[in-house]
Amino acid sequence: MIKIRNVNKWFGDLHVLKDISLNVALGEVLVVCGPSGSGKSTLIRCINRLEQIQEGELIVDNLNVHDRNINLTQLRAEIGFVFQQFNLYPHMTALGNVTLAPIKVRKMKKIEAEKLGRETMQKVGLGDKVDSYPAQLSGGQQQRVAIARGLCMRPKIMLFDEPTSALDPEMINEVLEVMVNLAKEGMTMIVVTHEMGFAREVAKRILFMDEGQIVETAPPNEFFTNPKHKRTQLFLSKILSH
Amino acid sequence: MLLLYITRLIDVFPLFLKGLWMTIAVSFLSLITATILGFLAGICRSSRNMPLRRAIGVYVNLIRGTPFLVQVFTIFFILPEFGIHLEPFPAAIIAMTIMGSAFICEIVAAGIEAVPKGQREAAISTGLSRNQQIRYVILPQAMRTILPPLVGQYVLLVKDSSIVSVIGVMDLTRVGWLTVQRIPEGMLVFGLVGIMYFAVCYPLIRLATRLEKRMSVEEYSL
Amino acid sequence: MLEYFNFRVILQYLDQYLIGLLATGWMSLVSICLALILGTIACVMRLSKNRLISNTSAVYIESIRSTPLLTQLYFFYFGLPSIGININEVQTGVLALSLNSGAYVAEIIRAGILSIPRGHVEAGIATGLSFIQRLRYIILPQAIGVVLPPLLGSAIVLVKDSSLLSLISVLELTRAGQILTSERFMPAEGFFTTAAFYLVIYSGLKVFSDWTQKKLIYREAH
Repeated sequence: MIKIRNVNKWFGDLHVLKDISLNVALGEVLVVCGPSGSGKSTLIRCINRLEQIQEGELIVDNLNVHDRNINLTQLRAEIGFVFQQFNLYPHMTALGNVTLAPIKVRKMKKIEAEKLGRETMQKVGLGDKVDSYPAQLSGGQQQRVAIARGLCMRPKIMLFDEPTSALDPEMINEVLEVMVNLAKEGMTMIVVTHEMGFAREVAKRILFMDEGQIVETAPPNEFFTNPKHKRTQLFLSKILSH
Repeated sequence: MLLLYITRLIDVFPLFLKGLWMTIAVSFLSLITATILGFLAGICRSSRNMPLRRAIGVYVNLIRGTPFLVQVFTIFFILPEFGIHLEPFPAAIIAMTIMGSAFICEIVAAGIEAVPKGQREAAISTGLSRNQQIRYVILPQAMRTILPPLVGQYVLLVKDSSIVSVIGVMDLTRVGWLTVQRIPEGMLVFGLVGIMYFAVCYPLIRLATRLEKRMSVEEYSL
Repeated sequence: MLEYFNFRVILQYLDQYLIGLLATGWMSLVSICLALILGTIACVMRLSKNRLISNTSAVYIESIRSTPLLTQLYFFYFGLPSIGININEVQTGVLALSLNSGAYVAEIIRAGILSIPRGHVEAGIATGLSFIQRLRYIILPQAIGVVLPPLLGSAIVLVKDSSLLSLISVLELTRAGQILTSERFMPAEGFFTTAAFYLVIYSGLKVFSDWTQKKLIYREAH
């Protein structure tokens, strides 16, 4: 589904992604973790071309992402993205937020889109909040609306950039629950997160990145019990201790 | 003598009203055209196309770096050299539109830049085209930052409209200028002119101040 | 178009332009200084607890802000002689410019003073600083940072506004352009040259303004 080959990226002189190669299969849930500055957010932001790469290949569903001639609209319609800061549109209701793209990009009729919107909101547990504005919702609720916004485009892939890092602890679980259900339904997901409980439950593989490189990748049980690299061990000891 | 002048002034007062009407007409029309042009320019000014941004930047700096009076003279006296002969009224509208749109362009561009970057990224990520992003996500949010200075700019437009009197537009200032030749009580005549401008501008200024206060209150409540 | 541009004519009138440039320059400078003094006084009055003093200042500020500069200029130019005050055009012009700019300066300073968080002043009081010390170490450094950029903007506006003095026969930059245009029927050469001079002044002031802002940011980081 996603093929990443020898990808290199620089921010000016800073080499943030060093020769990254990776495959993600259809229906796979990949968790990416690592210290801050490791390049993990940058990597997933390259997948839907929020960031550009300078070298290498990134192929999503047989579309070469960084080709100059690619139809970006088509690409982004197939990839849902959930931000750490939610980024909901404050001037629209939750329903407005989730139906904007289906109406304008997929050219759905408003009635159809609203029906889909309500169903999706129901799915993330916010069926009764369709007419609320983001300012009236808690952090956890806003993030769930953000997930619904991504899902309404019926994407093939969902990308999550530290979805729970900006949430108060008591709201993290409601979001993780939605993500776990999504994973169980077979959605292809790449999740940048520190929530190891989530990783243990649904991840097929966990990727550890440090200083722009993929240090180690392994299925969860192996990753936690038998990390091969010193840096991985160091990282795990830090985050699992609390 | 003063009493005579006052009675004469009362006699010609209808002319002042006509002048006021002309001032309002010139200002209002220019306001509309400048806003349309200014918004378009402002949206282009914040695009990712660098040559476009620079080109508009040059235009804005040209307008902001020269006095409006010089711009008015330029348009009125130079266009005939190119075969375009304009009446004062259309020339005035053109000059005010060009001037107003340059300032509105900067106001709009600043408002667009003020929208949090994450909003743009969210809109991009769902596949919206640049036009759709601006229209449905960015601009509605930018309006909050744009509205107070925009109204302020409208006040400036009304005041600058007095300058077009020099090319013969029969606005409030020109009526005053013509009147003072016959009624040599400068303070009386232009005091009246001032009061009439005040009647138009002061409410607009108050509106702009109120909009500004409302906007900063809303920021807190979010 | 530039092939038909008659540079020789411009050179012939260069002395007029330079006189005009000098006049624009020093009249603006004098007006800016007067405006600063006037504005500071008006601001202090506006902030006074005495209703009468505060309201007098408010009337001055609001009248200036709600009426065009041209009206104010004509008010003095035509009005002062009729009440027996005979000053020449340059003095009238400087008077009008100073009074006009002074009102805006007053508002800028007022905004600057009000922008200083009360908490900072209270911290100063709590640590035993005297009024003068608080003024010197807490209020003034922060106020200058807030106030300087808009004040420079005000100065730029004043230079452009000085072009209106050409309408009361003062020989400054715009008038030089008018003279060339009317004597030789060459509006392009006349007004483009004027515009060029203003652009040079504008760019210079803008560079200065950006430079001071950079220095201020550096200071605040300390």
